[in-house]
Amino acid sequence: MLGLPLAFASPLVLAALAALPALWWLLRVTPPRPRAIPFPPLRLIMDLLPEREKPARTPPWLLLLRIAIAALVIVAAAGPVWNPRTTSVAAGRAPLVMMIDNGWAAAPAWPERRAAMERLLAEAAAADRPVALIATGDRPAAPNPTDAGSALDRARALQPVPFSPDRGPHLAAATDFLRRSPGAEFIWIADGLGGSETRETMAAAAEAAGGRTTLIRDDAPVIALTAVENGAAGITVRIVRAGEGPAAGRLRALDMKGRPLAEQDFSIAGAEAKVTVALPLELRNEIARFDVVGLRSAGAVALVDETNRRRRVGIVSGVTTDVAQPLLSPVHYVQRALEPFAEIRTPRQGTIDAIAGLIDEKASVLVLADVGALPDDVRRKVETFVNEGGLLLRFAGPRLAAGGDDLVPVKLRRGGRALGGALAWETPRALGPFDPQSPFHGIDRPADVAISRQLLAEPEPDLARKVWASLADGTPIVTAEKRGAGLVVLMHVTADTSWSNLPLSGLFVDMLQRIVALSGTAGLEPGRETPAGTARTSAPFLTLDGFGTPGLPPATAKPVAVTPGLVASRDHPPGFYGDRDAPSAVNAPARDAVLRTLDAGPLAARTEALRLTAPFDPRPWLLTAALLLFALDTLVSAFLAGGLRMGRRAATAALLGALVLSGGTDRAEAQNRAPQGPGRETPAVSPKETDAALVTRFAYVLTGDAAVDETSRAGLVGLNAYLAARTALEPGAPVGVDPATDELALYPLIYWPMAAGREPPGEAGIRRIDAFMKNGGTVIFDTRDAGTALGGDVQTPETRLLRRILAGIAVPDLEPVPQDHVVTKAFYLIEKFPGRWAEGKTFIEALPRGDAPDAERPARAGDGVSPIIITSNDWAAAWAIGPRGEPLNPLVQQMPRQREMSLRVGVNVAMYALTGNYKADQVHVPALLERLGQ
Amino acid sequence: MARVRVLDEPERRIGPSRATDALDLARRLPRLALEARRISAAVAHGVHGRRRPGTGETFWQFRPFTAGEPAHRIDWRRSARDEHHLHVREREWEAAHTVRLWIDRSPSMAFASTLAAAPKLDRAVVLGLALADLLVRGGERVGLLGFGPTMASRMIVDRLAEALGADPSAEAELPDATPLPPLSEAVLITDALSPADEIAGILEKLAARGARGHLLRIVDPVEETFPFEGQAELLATEGRDRLDVGDAGAFRRAYHERMQAHRSALAEACRRRGWSFLDHRTDRPASEALLAVAVRVARGGRGPGSF
Repeated sequence: MLGLPLAFASPLVLAALAALPALWWLLRVTPPRPRAIPFPPLRLIMDLLPEREKPARTPPWLLLLRIAIAALVIVAAAGPVWNPRTTSVAAGRAPLVMMIDNGWAAAPAWPERRAAMERLLAEAAAADRPVALIATGDRPAAPNPTDAGSALDRARALQPVPFSPDRGPHLAAATDFLRRSPGAEFIWIADGLGGSETRETMAAAAEAAGGRTTLIRDDAPVIALTAVENGAAGITVRIVRAGEGPAAGRLRALDMKGRPLAEQDFSIAGAEAKVTVALPLELRNEIARFDVVGLRSAGAVALVDETNRRRRVGIVSGVTTDVAQPLLSPVHYVQRALEPFAEIRTPRQGTIDAIAGLIDEKASVLVLADVGALPDDVRRKVETFVNEGGLLLRFAGPRLAAGGDDLVPVKLRRGGRALGGALAWETPRALGPFDPQSPFHGIDRPADVAISRQLLAEPEPDLARKVWASLADGTPIVTAEKRGAGLVVLMHVTADTSWSNLPLSGLFVDMLQRIVALSGTAGLEPGRETPAGTARTSAPFLTLDGFGTPGLPPATAKPVAVTPGLVASRDHPPGFYGDRDAPSAVNAPARDAVLRTLDAGPLAARTEALRLTAPFDPRPWLLTAALLLFALDTLVSAFLAGGLRMGRRAATAALLGALVLSGGTDRAEAQNRAPQGPGRETPAVSPKETDAALVTRFAYVLTGDAAVDETSRAGLVGLNAYLAARTALEPGAPVGVDPATDELALYPLIYWPMAAGREPPGEAGIRRIDAFMKNGGTVIFDTRDAGTALGGDVQTPETRLLRRILAGIAVPDLEPVPQDHVVTKAFYLIEKFPGRWAEGKTFIEALPRGDAPDAERPARAGDGVSPIIITSNDWAAAWAIGPRGEPLNPLVQQMPRQREMSLRVGVNVAMYALTGNYKADQVHVPALLERLGQ
Repeated sequence: MARVRVLDEPERRIGPSRATDALDLARRLPRLALEARRISAAVAHGVHGRRRPGTGETFWQFRPFTAGEPAHRIDWRRSARDEHHLHVREREWEAAHTVRLWIDRSPSMAFASTLAAAPKLDRAVVLGLALADLLVRGGERVGLLGFGPTMASRMIVDRLAEALGADPSAEAELPDATPLPPLSEAVLITDALSPADEIAGILEKLAARGARGHLLRIVDPVEETFPFEGQAELLATEGRDRLDVGDAGAFRRAYHERMQAHRSALAEACRRRGWSFLDHRTDRPASEALLAVAVRVARGGRGPGSF
């Protein structure tokens, strides 16, 4: 339409645009809201009727705004589509042959391919054309034309396959079919890779279709990851590609669980490139696969298997391991040297069982430290292990010197050679330079490595070939020999420091690393055939689908003998085969694969690019714009009608606007929320709690009895004033708390008067109090009934209430406050605990009546602070002061200076609650100072 | 287009500023002019002789001294000319006129338009207080209608302002309908927006014992001309009534007719009881109205009605 990529689903609706001028006329006559005028003489004219209505004019710009809204809605209703498709098969009734490539190369743009298929098939269904759908990933078969509807169903079920299908037979079958059905049309949705088709077959197909061929292809380059090599500098991935234009991406290394380990950007201009990911060896060993970020294709995934993975090293010592002395263990240094990059197995059972067990566990390296001759059956097992590609690393030692077997690279002389001993003339020897053929070539050779004993090799013709390292005098110190697919390496010294200080040097670590790195390649070098007798097939346990997503293997996957040259096929999808602990990888592209770009010239087809930009439906945006304009219009109208009075219309507009905006932000919020998961909700901190946390303050429990609560408050205020005057403590204003709802942990001391007739707090409150006491808080329960108690077993209502409260709390053993309790000396020296009354008893957590020395101390305290103090003297009433500092309540005078004494009790309790048993220790300070001679 | 506003609560309170305004206004009128008119109007204003002997300053007659009278009453100068009798000088009994003011402070008075020079309430209070000042200086006693004593204090303006400020029952538009004593005068300053027959009934009651009076109607120019255009909805200042009048321009004619009828009815009610009736628009200067009403009071209530 008008050269724009714009089409309408129902263009007839656009006719409604013609009605806009009518809207213009209609909107103009809407009267605005009348002015409101206060008018005193209204009473006299209430019965007068206005004569006529004169409509006011709507401003033209408002009209334009409203017309724009209407136009937007009309255009949206017409179903506009931006970027519509152009190829059409809606004409004709002849059959349609549709060939679609669904190898891994088609996976990245699969949604577009499927959309193209669906669109074409839907058009064919509308035109009632039979369709023969050929997916090149399927087994070749004669095309079977069906109605377009079932072809559409099949097309929807198609998925890309994780291998490169052979396109040739399919093309031949299609050509046959085209020949047989004149007038048929051929559509090929290609993946851009050249395959087994030739110019001739393509020309034949074009000729059979009579020129009615369409090729839909995308021009994006196809990228595949092929060979992975674990080199010295890092792990190298070979990237190949087909198609025009430069390709760039980001290579990503993942471990077995799919966690990314490293990322590396690459760009590839030619046909192939090598990208090296520099990683520490131990991380390299974790890599299970490489993929390209954002490219969903099995070809863009390279699986990394045991060949390039961390080795399992089994270490067996001939000496019984002394666990308590790890530094004396003969294998300690080997273990420490290999730990960073290999998986170490050190079985605890006897030597023989350990060796057999490690071989069964499929260790790739077997380290035998000073193991002498082996029994026959184990020796055969080890031999097989080596022949199948295992690496046997042996260390010399007294046992091996005493008599070995043939599982060593060289013939050994019995007994060792001692250098630099007490009875020897010679000094310990240093290492000689490494031979260029030696795997150790290039390692720094520290000068202070000294060998004092070694096993000597019998001179043999081929000895020099087997030597990897030797002493300065030329005697071999490391020898190695290939056996079958494996390798036997012998260090002519012990694994510990008894024969040399080699295990202490960094050289030892480097040497072991190189030796172990050889283990994988020894048996699985490319080109080397596995001995026929040992060929084993393994089943896949994890395979990739066409998109490169790992999953369970499909039912069609068959076990196979994995060889390095194996390329994924229909029967053997790419994935991990064999044992989970030592998997073998099969990749979609071959190691040496080269990708060719599809040359479809002979087909002489009408070529359409697979449009990667999907058709865009602008309806949501049009409607949103209309809604926003409508909201604007409502606001403007409200403004025009009577100032900015938020009438009902304005409120609706605001609501609509908010809805529109929230619709936009919902998704973003959801994304923000998603990673957090269902995290624990932190309850909001109330201002009350904030205040309480900022200043130390005491709390009292709100009983619900206003008089009691006021007395508690005034009492704590009085105590605060006294504390501020006499001590360094200036508590904040006291707080009334409800144990059922308030956070108690913020208060060091809670005063809880018993108010007769009140119910104890509920279950939640009791639990909170219990937790508060357990966590170190102190609660003063005041029954306030010393004056009213009758004595004996008669309980006052307050005492009954206290018992009901304490029934749900873990109360420690209580005792009347003993005279030597620290609370009697925490600040003042006090004897009684008077409040309004002086005769009531005060209870506190019973101290352990310990042994004699403790009993002599002037003040005793337990480990913590008593969580509970129970009194009946009504302390708060004695402490309570009014706003001018005057005492509020008369006291029942039972002792001299009772109010002062009562406040001192309060001070002591506060000090006790805040400082704990510190005061108990404090009383000893003079004695301690005296003892120090001060 | 004219804008209107209703005064808020603090503005309605009667304070010293209005008293000052009233004093300014009253002082501006030349006392002499008033005096001249008072003299020309003979007895109608000021201190009124009662045509009988009594307390006063004006000589009334001599009469023979009767035994038992206090000797200081003897007019020795006159007695010296008579050989036989002692004469006593008698003075005429003089009593001050009483004027009762009513200043409407109902919510409808708290109204001002941009066309007016002052809100109706301001104008009414200023006029009332100025009139009181004028009258007191002329020797009359002035009080508020309905409560408080009549006074002849020179501080009358302040006193009345105080009394008005203290009066809680300020919402009524018209005074209680209790008959005034004869020989007193009433001055009602109001916007008279109650129905005309209601006002007429109150006038009847007030004048039932022969008191004379003056009705000074305060009108905002907007109320008279109704200069609004376009869609309008009228809101009552008292109560919650509202009236959508549609196009105000078209409604103006009907409104004028209604207000004209109202005014005629008021004038007729006043005429029947012998009261005078004046209009005062708040866009006119206050002195104009004051002069007019002062003349009416001086003349005794009769005269042509408009200002």
